[in-house]
Amino acid sequence: MITTRPHFAKTAAAGAALAGAAALVLSACGAPPETTGPTASAPDFIGCIVSDSGGFDDQSFNQSSYEGLKKAEADLGIQVKEAESKSNNDYETNLNGMMSAGCNLTVTVGYLLGDATKAAAEANPDKHFTIVDFAYAQPVPNVKPVVYDTAQAAYLAGYAAAATTKTGIVGTFGGVKIPTVTIFMDGFADGVAAYNQAKGKDVQLLGWNKAAQDGTFTGDFEKQDKGKQFTQNLLDQGADIVMPVAGPVGKGAGAALQEAKAAGKEVALIWVDSDGYLTAPDYKDIMLTSVMKKMDEAIEALVRDDTEGKFSNEPYVGTLENDGVAIAPFHDYDAKVSAETKAELEQLRKDIIDGTVTVTSQASPKK
Amino acid sequence: MSATAAPAVSAPAISPGAPVGWKVPATLSVLAVVALVVFGFLGSAQTAEFGISASGDAFALPALRVPGMATSIVLGVLMAGLAAWSVWLKLQGRRTPGWAGPVFAVMFVFSFLVWVVASARTPSISLAGLIAGAVTLAVPLVFGSLSGVLCERSGVVNIAIEGQLLGGAFTAAIVASVTRSPALGLVAAAVAGALVSMVLAVFSIRYLVNQIIVGVVLNVLVSGLTGFLFTTVMQEDPELFNSPGRLPILEIPVLSAIPILGPILFKQSVVGYLMYIAVAVVWLGLFKTRWGLRLRAVGEHPKAADTLGIRVNATRFWNVTLGGAIAGIGGSFFTLVAIDSFTKEISGGRGFIALAALIFGRWNPIGAFFAALLFGFADNLQAILTIIGTPVPSQFMAMMPYLVTVFAVAGLVGRSRPPAAEGIPYVKG
Repeated sequence: MITTRPHFAKTAAAGAALAGAAALVLSACGAPPETTGPTASAPDFIGCIVSDSGGFDDQSFNQSSYEGLKKAEADLGIQVKEAESKSNNDYETNLNGMMSAGCNLTVTVGYLLGDATKAAAEANPDKHFTIVDFAYAQPVPNVKPVVYDTAQAAYLAGYAAAATTKTGIVGTFGGVKIPTVTIFMDGFADGVAAYNQAKGKDVQLLGWNKAAQDGTFTGDFEKQDKGKQFTQNLLDQGADIVMPVAGPVGKGAGAALQEAKAAGKEVALIWVDSDGYLTAPDYKDIMLTSVMKKMDEAIEALVRDDTEGKFSNEPYVGTLENDGVAIAPFHDYDAKVSAETKAELEQLRKDIIDGTVTVTSQASPKK
Repeated sequence: MSATAAPAVSAPAISPGAPVGWKVPATLSVLAVVALVVFGFLGSAQTAEFGISASGDAFALPALRVPGMATSIVLGVLMAGLAAWSVWLKLQGRRTPGWAGPVFAVMFVFSFLVWVVASARTPSISLAGLIAGAVTLAVPLVFGSLSGVLCERSGVVNIAIEGQLLGGAFTAAIVASVTRSPALGLVAAAVAGALVSMVLAVFSIRYLVNQIIVGVVLNVLVSGLTGFLFTTVMQEDPELFNSPGRLPILEIPVLSAIPILGPILFKQSVVGYLMYIAVAVVWLGLFKTRWGLRLRAVGEHPKAADTLGIRVNATRFWNVTLGGAIAGIGGSFFTLVAIDSFTKEISGGRGFIALAALIFGRWNPIGAFFAALLFGFADNLQAILTIIGTPVPSQFMAMMPYLVTVFAVAGLVGRSRPPAAEGIPYVKG
């Protein structure tokens, strides 16, 4: 996945020099001397990342964030240090380790690291932090939150699913009931509802009730066989398109749907976080689309900004407008989605961007 | 529910002098009132629908449709009658007969189902799917608890079931991927489980280390090792190392089309069929063969067994190893049947639930089998109920399997007795 590009070395060195110069100029802007002193240049910049218990190979947000940092390593020539958390008890230790390793910018991945990151940031006011998928009610001066209004993209996926289902029932389930999961489900529910309203249909959504803010959850991001069983249950209840919002547990959904397909049923899967057609190729034959959060791009851009001395604690909110969230191409299902639906989706995308259509979720990042 | 049944079932008739307790009548009365009021009078009047046939069954039965509130009230009245009878018997100084508990439990569960389904947004569930899923979720638990039976009956505490499952899952995935043969993966899983168990056996039997500590350490070790190898080996080339392929589902013609029972008994993978065979073989072996008698002897009274010329530590060693092999096969369920790839911690703590099932099942293979099924049933039921949208919050539903386990174990464990020499290393002399 991570390609090292040697021909970039020169560019990187040049960029580094430029960054160093920029840093020199900008060091007066209240940026801490440790990161942007006269000798600072990208090769001396240490970018660090601490995962949550999912680890860097979770085919989900830890992985995308990690890839973003590795891209920055390749493109900007920064040094990278990484620490995987095995459990919720590891966050503080890992963050302390990063602090003593002299990290300039530490990326912490996930809602669960919120408190630990805040504590580390307050104890080390001269260091910069970026936390993915979490925003503080009270901003912390040296932490930049990276959050996503995922409901916008999930809305489009919900609409596409409702337009594609043959049984008139679509399903979803989550890993754990936390805002970064339910935001997908809220958007998906609204997308289905929008289709029903536009077409006078009655497509049902199983597994999430937006009004009650409750639904189906496997309870963790590990038990893939449970994800499979949950998907089987959704199929038994008549659903033919399923969107698992459960990280690696989503593979269980893929397995159940593939078995259903082998048994002659027409079914489809909607992946989340990344384009599953590329990141979970085992299931590409049943992949309708994916609800993507483009974290790798955001993280790389943030690292670049920080090396150039442009760090701020202003939250980054990924939306359809800035292409931080999107739905993936239909790939093999392209022929099964009508041109009409595609046109409607494009129109909806524009409407969401210009505010004609607003997608709301309790879990949406507060503006 | 089972807890209420238990005292009646095994109450010794040989002690007529002992006073009859209030436990059974009181429990039945409370539950009957709950069922009548909550499930009946406060229930929804919607019709609850239970699908009997899955698509593909040979003879499709119509779905069972019952009016929610009325059914629960009728069942509630019947349960109240049973409870009143039990109280009356108690006042006469007589015991409630053994069949009353299970009958009551079945009515209670059905009443609960009718209530919860009728009050859902979509008042319809597939009974066939519910039962089939319960068995699927129970498969690794059954293998895990059989491993526990063999180890603990021979006198070695096996906390390492989780590690055996995880080791089996990992090895099955990697061997099946490299050899392109899921069958070889299955064999390798058994070997891996046995190896984990051998470490337990060597340390606890030869070096007399505290068995619980060895077990806990083994779980952490296997978790770390498989996690490390997953990242460093499997993730580097998933195509070569982490695409084991699935064991095929072997469908027995005609029989597999029987509603509800067909899919769970006759439409399984090799691992599924092995589960039924293993339960039967371990039970027969344990209670009907010389091997089983010796195994139990070294677990109950090693000194006596030794005196009779049984090699206590060798018997323990090989049975602990065999237990590990069985758990390893259970682990292969995750990577060869459920999903065709491995990820970290794929066993997700099921080894510990297997341990609970073993104790709840009173160190008996058949008991453990039903205990695992109960857990699988509760687990799948909560999943389906959240799908159809019950008024009960999902977090509470998620607790249900564990609550059922805790109550079941608490209700029974006080009376079930572990092997006498369990956890005590045997030193000659």
